Amino acid sequence: MTYKTLIKKLTYSNRRLHIHIGLFLVLFIWLFSFSGLLLNHGNWKFASFWDERKEKTIEITVSIPAGLDSIQVLKTILSQLKIVGEVNNVKMTPDSVDFSVAYPGHVSNIHADFKKGTGIQKELSYNIWGKLRTLHTFNGANRDNADVEPNWLLTRVWRFSMDAIAVGLIFLSVSSWIMWYKIRQNYLWGYLALIAGFALAGWFVYLLKL
Amino acid sequence: MKKYYPPVRTLHLYIGLFVSPFVLIFSISVLVLNHAGYLNSVMPVKRLPVIKTHLDKIPYDTSDLQTAKAITQKLGIKGEIDFISKNDDHISFPVTLPGERTKIEVNKHTNEVLITRDEEGVLRATNYLHKMPGPHNTQIRGNATFMKTWRLLADMVVYLLLFLSASGIFLWYFLKAERKLGWLAIISGAIIFTGLLLFIIG
Repeated sequence: MTYKTLIKKLTYSNRRLHIHIGLFLVLFIWLFSFSGLLLNHGNWKFASFWDERKEKTIEITVSIPAGLDSIQVLKTILSQLKIVGEVNNVKMTPDSVDFSVAYPGHVSNIHADFKKGTGIQKELSYNIWGKLRTLHTFNGANRDNADVEPNWLLTRVWRFSMDAIAVGLIFLSVSSWIMWYKIRQNYLWGYLALIAGFALAGWFVYLLKL
Repeated sequence: MKKYYPPVRTLHLYIGLFVSPFVLIFSISVLVLNHAGYLNSVMPVKRLPVIKTHLDKIPYDTSDLQTAKAITQKLGIKGEIDFISKNDDHISFPVTLPGERTKIEVNKHTNEVLITRDEEGVLRATNYLHKMPGPHNTQIRGNATFMKTWRLLADMVVYLLLFLSASGIFLWYFLKAERKLGWLAIISGAIIFTGLLLFIIG
């Protein structure tokens, strides 16, 4: 295969991938675009979620066998209460534990007293707008300790999806430059569009702090 | 419909080229946000030496934001005031530019100022831009000129991205050779999208 043929094949594949990766990601792009707008425009009345939240407090009973470590204690409580989600804010003493369990649109704050075998579960549920907002930011990141990895399988799956979408978007950007470069003679304003975009984005990322 | 193909293609191309650097900012920042622990290990935040200084005539008899702005102006520090904490003795607030975070703490009795500055680097700059203006501290958000501009740009990027995705579907529809594989891409994307949402928010 000659160099020319190889380049031709690569640019053809690049174009096809640009089209099909773009089509594959379209719903994800719409979700993150719209939820991004919701996060930046908390004053949009139609998307109000905090005032519409539903709160519920339940008295719970838990039975914690002696000799369990902290992770086993949390797993036992979650399994007894039949709840799932990303566990956060764990504060454990020899007699009790406080923690929260969350998935997009739903948070449970739990206090369990080991000695009494009782506790309180405070549930918070959001409407669809609240769910969309939390989906945008649901990556299991721990603000206090960046090294902590997500502890719920679906958080990991969602975070992986976010990574994949990000990589897909990076590919769509780079492949668009290659596609334009091939036909740049017919689209000379492309130089201006690309330089203007880079100059403006570069000003925010690099130049502001100089 | 086909008569619209050439102008839509031209717009898709030019808008796509203009928006692509911003898409890179948002995409790279996703990886930064999702893997902050790894980033901290390979590119830690650089803490600069703490500066202690003294200011005269700080106006405390106005709003917190005006007080904070007056302090930053006197210190010659530029950036967005992210939030303000205060009590009877102190007022403190972070002032951020993408990639650089300065924490200012002022003793209200003595007007002594403690300045802590972190160089966060380019990758964390994308992270900050991604999260701004965001849902928090909306009352004071946009107190720096760059943030007012970024707010408009961030919105514009989203609307242009929506246009690009819609126009991309339009352009694909006229490419007969890519029709079958395109449908496969849309349907498989939709199945994975719906499946994920059902599992996660069920």
